[in-house]
Amino acid sequence: MINYFSPVDRALTSRVAFRCDLTEARAAARTLRNFLAAQGLDEESLFACELCLAEAGNNAVEYADAAGRDKPVVAEVSCHASQTELRVTDHTPGFEWPGRLAAPAPDRVRGRGLFIIQSLMDDVRYFSGAGENILLMRKKRTQQQQHRPGGDAPVKIEEAHRQLTECQQTIGNMARELCFRSESLSAIFRCCAELGQTSDLEGFGQRLLGDLLHLTSADWFVLRLIPPKRLQLVVFAASAPALRGHPLALPPMDSPAPSAEVSAALTRGEVPFDARRAQPAAEPLCMAGPDSTGLVHPLLFGETLVGTLAIGQHGAGPGFSKLQLEVIRTFAEFLAIQIAGTRHQEEQVQNRLVAHELEIGRSIQRALLPAPLPQFAGFELAGHWESARQVGGDFYDALPLSDHSLLLVVADVMGKGIPAAMFASITRSLVRALARQSQQPAELLGRLNKLLYAELSAVGMFITAQLVFVDLSRRELIAASAGHCPLLLLSTGSDPVRTLHTTGTPLGILPDMVCRQQTAPLARPGGLLLYTDGLTEALNSAGERFGQKRLMEWLRRHCRLPGRTDQLRDQLAAELTGFRAGAPLRDDQAFLLLTETSAPVGARRRRVRRAKNPNSTFPRQRVARPEPVSVPV
Amino acid sequence: MKIEHDGQKLSISEIPELSTVNSALFRDEVQAAMPPLLGMIEIDLSQTRFVDSCGLGALFSLYKAAGNGHGKVALRLLNPTPQVQQLFELTQMHQLFEIAQR
Repeated sequence: MINYFSPVDRALTSRVAFRCDLTEARAAARTLRNFLAAQGLDEESLFACELCLAEAGNNAVEYADAAGRDKPVVAEVSCHASQTELRVTDHTPGFEWPGRLAAPAPDRVRGRGLFIIQSLMDDVRYFSGAGENILLMRKKRTQQQQHRPGGDAPVKIEEAHRQLTECQQTIGNMARELCFRSESLSAIFRCCAELGQTSDLEGFGQRLLGDLLHLTSADWFVLRLIPPKRLQLVVFAASAPALRGHPLALPPMDSPAPSAEVSAALTRGEVPFDARRAQPAAEPLCMAGPDSTGLVHPLLFGETLVGTLAIGQHGAGPGFSKLQLEVIRTFAEFLAIQIAGTRHQEEQVQNRLVAHELEIGRSIQRALLPAPLPQFAGFELAGHWESARQVGGDFYDALPLSDHSLLLVVADVMGKGIPAAMFASITRSLVRALARQSQQPAELLGRLNKLLYAELSAVGMFITAQLVFVDLSRRELIAASAGHCPLLLLSTGSDPVRTLHTTGTPLGILPDMVCRQQTAPLARPGGLLLYTDGLTEALNSAGERFGQKRLMEWLRRHCRLPGRTDQLRDQLAAELTGFRAGAPLRDDQAFLLLTETSAPVGARRRRVRRAKNPNSTFPRQRVARPEPVSVPV
Repeated sequence: MKIEHDGQKLSISEIPELSTVNSALFRDEVQAAMPPLLGMIEIDLSQTRFVDSCGLGALFSLYKAAGNGHGKVALRLLNPTPQVQQLFELTQMHQLFEIAQR
């Protein structure tokens, strides 16, 4: 005799399978109550069991999905010596069983079912499976309740056989599901181990999708990714060479999608695919086979679409089961995470490289500035340079031409960043090469323009520059400007800061530029300030400009002649920083100061002292000794 | 189910159960029978062997209808079985109704 009950505790079981219908659910609860009454349960337990069976049955009917409504709901009760066990098997999508619920407010019309079950039963468990769920409820029996052991009511052999077959079938299904889930989990663990560890995206994708084909009994896959900054789906991996089709352009959101992959990308939802209903010319997935079916799943990382995964089978099979679909979606999520992670890493590496190169560029650019500046007895030069970015387009230079003359240069290449910095370097080199060819700044600017015009106009850029030739012994200067800010002449007396305007078009605007130079005396004691518009155009956090008027006013108050040039330079730089008050630098800033540091010496010979500068193309000259000077009144 | 009204009082009795199968009908019939000048609804639950969450929902709907549509009408539940009484207490609905044993 086949006996599947425990010989010690032979439970008596009754089972009712009913259509997915509320009236039938109610009838089933009543039938099972009558069975339990026959087993000697007291009125209170009977009421509790009937109520919980009714509540569970109602939920099984009300929440069944379209496929579940065709399947019977099964309610079973088993009477053991110590407890009564109630089981309701439903075909709803299932839900997360809540923790201990509080009593719903008395004024709620619905929502008491789960609370009642939790309150009236001693133990409740909910098992959610593929397509079916079991609610298991247990209620302890009191001493008074009479248990009629199974021996008193012999189980019919046919009934036992039927129940055994059902049990075997259920266990078989559960074992298959367990096996499938275990394999899926192993594959997921393998992927998890690789997540974030590998930069070999292609290898990772192939391994993951190989596992997926095996798990879902699929025959083919196509993984398409959207390359950075492109609106295309490009094949990244495919199960067969024939499936490696051309890139698919992603049209605007509202346009009709010609293929399943584009459609999944645009709608960001799963799209089924059936080669028998598709137009082979417009559907690349038809290459999988004339009777292939499958689906396309969008790969999303948060809100970002990274690609699509198409997967399918040859022939008109049963399609993917609910479990297989779950695994496909899970793997698609893994892929999206890995792809987004790898791209992020690549971007970080790229950004670090760019930052490193910019840092090198900044060092080179700083090295191009003359440091220290040439010095002349009785005069001192000081420069300031600050870039809005790592590298910039402003620069200054000071070239000694003899022991008493020099050429001062300040230039501003249109724009900021690397392009501006490249032209700044070229311009600086050209000025250095041309400097000794003429002492006429206007002529030098004309030559510079001829040399730079073609390159500048080809990229639509221009340069403003100011060249000032200074003869310290004759105390005379000649200034020319290519669309640059005016030169500021410093002196003592009633009008100590004056502008010297010179006209000229910026370099790179006209093939033959027109430029006029002006000659002016250098005051005794005197000085000059050459600057770029980054000073006067600087904005504070209130949006206020620094302006030329403020610059001149500041110089009137702070410039002492003769005086320390480097101190004045530092004060002006601090003033500019203080004015910004934390607001970011919007444009590059450069200025060059020449001031008299001691009283002029008249006709006594000055020697030029040049500092060591490995970039210099000029012959080194002897260092001048400081000479005693008298201070003019 | 028996519904009687005596002037201002509506009496309902002989209700075998209040479950998912009959509670909507019970609610609709009682609401339809409410006279315009109603002072009291008495529901005799002495023969009601079974009440589920739908039945509780129907009683609550009547409580709302009595309170909202017809002025303040008292709703009294008579003679519930111990099990039904326990269910009212478990779900705290005994706070809403007047429950009496006669």
